Amino acid sequence: MKEIAIEEEIIGTLEGMLGESVLGSKSPRPRRVYIHVKPAAHKRAISALLQAFPSTIISTITGIDLGETIEINYHFWCGKAEVTIRTNLSKSKPEIETITDIVPGASLYEREVHDLLGVKFANHPNLTRLLLPESWPENSYPLRKDWNPKQTGEIHDSSEKTLTIGETRTESNGGSLVNVIVGPQHPALHEPERFLFKLDGEVVVDVEPRLGYAHRGIEKAAEHLMFFQDVHLVERVCGICNVAHTTCFCQAVEALGEIEIPSRAKYLRTIVHEFNRIHSHLLLLGIAGLEIGFESLFQYLWRDRETVLDLTEKLTGNRVMAEYSTIGGVRRDLTPILGDEIKKKLQKIRDRLSFYKEVFQSDPTIELRTKGIGVLSEEKALKLCVVGPVARGSGVKSDVRKHDPYAAYEDAPFKEILYKDGDSWSRFMVRLEEVGESIEIITWAVDNIPSGPYRIRVPRRMPRGESLSRVEAPRGELIHYVKGNGTAYPERVKIRSPTLANIISFREMIRGCYVADIPAVLASLDPCFSCTDRMVFVDEKNGRRWIWSMNDLKARRRDS
Amino acid sequence: MSPINLSKWARLKSPWVLHFNSGACNACDIEVVALLTPRYDVERFGILLKGTPRHADILIATGPVTRQAALRLKRIYELMPEPKFVMAVGACASSGAPFKKCYNVLGGIDKVIPVDVYVPGCPPKPEAIIYGVTKLFEKIKGGS
Repeated sequence: MKEIAIEEEIIGTLEGMLGESVLGSKSPRPRRVYIHVKPAAHKRAISALLQAFPSTIISTITGIDLGETIEINYHFWCGKAEVTIRTNLSKSKPEIETITDIVPGASLYEREVHDLLGVKFANHPNLTRLLLPESWPENSYPLRKDWNPKQTGEIHDSSEKTLTIGETRTESNGGSLVNVIVGPQHPALHEPERFLFKLDGEVVVDVEPRLGYAHRGIEKAAEHLMFFQDVHLVERVCGICNVAHTTCFCQAVEALGEIEIPSRAKYLRTIVHEFNRIHSHLLLLGIAGLEIGFESLFQYLWRDRETVLDLTEKLTGNRVMAEYSTIGGVRRDLTPILGDEIKKKLQKIRDRLSFYKEVFQSDPTIELRTKGIGVLSEEKALKLCVVGPVARGSGVKSDVRKHDPYAAYEDAPFKEILYKDGDSWSRFMVRLEEVGESIEIITWAVDNIPSGPYRIRVPRRMPRGESLSRVEAPRGELIHYVKGNGTAYPERVKIRSPTLANIISFREMIRGCYVADIPAVLASLDPCFSCTDRMVFVDEKNGRRWIWSMNDLKARRRDS
Repeated sequence: MSPINLSKWARLKSPWVLHFNSGACNACDIEVVALLTPRYDVERFGILLKGTPRHADILIATGPVTRQAALRLKRIYELMPEPKFVMAVGACASSGAPFKKCYNVLGGIDKVIPVDVYVPGCPPKPEAIIYGVTKLFEKIKGGS
């Protein structure tokens, strides 16, 4: 019962430091702690948490409309447990002090809550729209319960007009900064996103991402569907890491309903989750090859990736959208014949891996384009609260499978891959070696899978309560927070995908890099959107404007 | 061979495509890219993925149209030279599918631009997308 001691220790420490400001605390499950503080005491509580546990990173901020009040939950991972600090605001005047000065990584989460729930974060450096389009009307907040669906506004071109093309500033040394817009249309794949780069000659000085081109409003839609229907909806949050989303959501609902799934289901979830990781990492490494002008690597990696997709199809019935996890277990069973096939085919990928490792370690193209470029130091990574391979590439221990085990990971034999340098190359290497670890995990799980049922019946209604589930998606820590109200419909579903946590670090990585490094660095961050497609370059001095395509950029790269 | 037939013949032999994601979940997108890789290798039909709308004959659109991407999708369509064709790949692109009623989604691709071929599926298998392309070829052949 060592786990309980940790939660009690956290509650005890914080109550001791905050005294009367704490209104209540609970720890319903291992490694989950909820602390309710008085309004305006949240900042003191968070500083106390940071002081007591220096490696604390913010997971996300959830805002919930409770009718009379708006509840703000700050979720933190303090290295041993997920601590939720909660405070209530009045709905008529929802205003709260920002925490970006003590936790810089909270910036985007505060903007998200501001955008969707209309909470004002006082003294936030840049409280602008994050997800909703520019044409969205003021004072219309979709995640509020009393929101009128007709308040969506007319679509007009204002979002395009807010692009400050060619806003050039003359520096004191006579140089000038040029704005470059990247996105949202892109030649290869990935989500549409837009980046505004500020350039000084060839060097990137600053970058500002504009998200929301793919914002669909899934969190609101999830409130109108029953739990078991939501499983299919959250599967479609992301097509690449879909297994992570369903597993995470099902775990959250199972924790809410206090459902214990059969251990065979846990092993099966682990197997599919790792298939998903292998396919996602191989996909990314291929894209990385494409972005640095190494197309044969892309073709090779994607050919090997097909093997994993075939196995996923045989086990789950689908190539990409696995639709495998469900509340109470999984949908299909693993036959011993398929188990043998999985082991045999993965062995082939393992052999190929050593070849890829050699390529990444010895190829001069890869070395020149990725080593020492896009550096994110360990200290910065911790400060900006990045997750997944991005954090591990900078030497930050962040593997949820290791530190907050779920499914069958508690017993699985695997190493947490860490690289110290924090450059693009380290991030690619982390992913490459993680593929090897995933193969080990799958082989182990196939060999050791317990017999028994793989699914149990569960009720549609879930009790009142809340639960928070974390999984290690291919891109990093994924969080689903589910609040139930005693019916078959969830009161609130909050999803924090790993890319939102990592995007903030892009600014740190790209500063001081050349324009030509943008694609490779962005790919190393993660390609849930990779980048460079069509750039508009504007030179304000002579008013010239020209457009470069991806291919022009690549050609330019070769020349230089 | 008349000039019209010649251009039609050329178009059938080298249909260059542009891919745009107007709010998809990436599943259809990775299947579209998988077409280019060794197992499916659509380059053998002359299909090339291009980076700019100005080079493209076919726009492969994936995902439901979000409010923010709608005008961008329209603009990309307008940038393409005539004659142009649009393929809606995936259930979302065809109708909006599970996101039909979401507040930031307008619906399928055909709410914004005309669509020639719909390829349903979540996501459609690469074979299905190739089948969709052949259907489009029939349309190009049949039309003037």
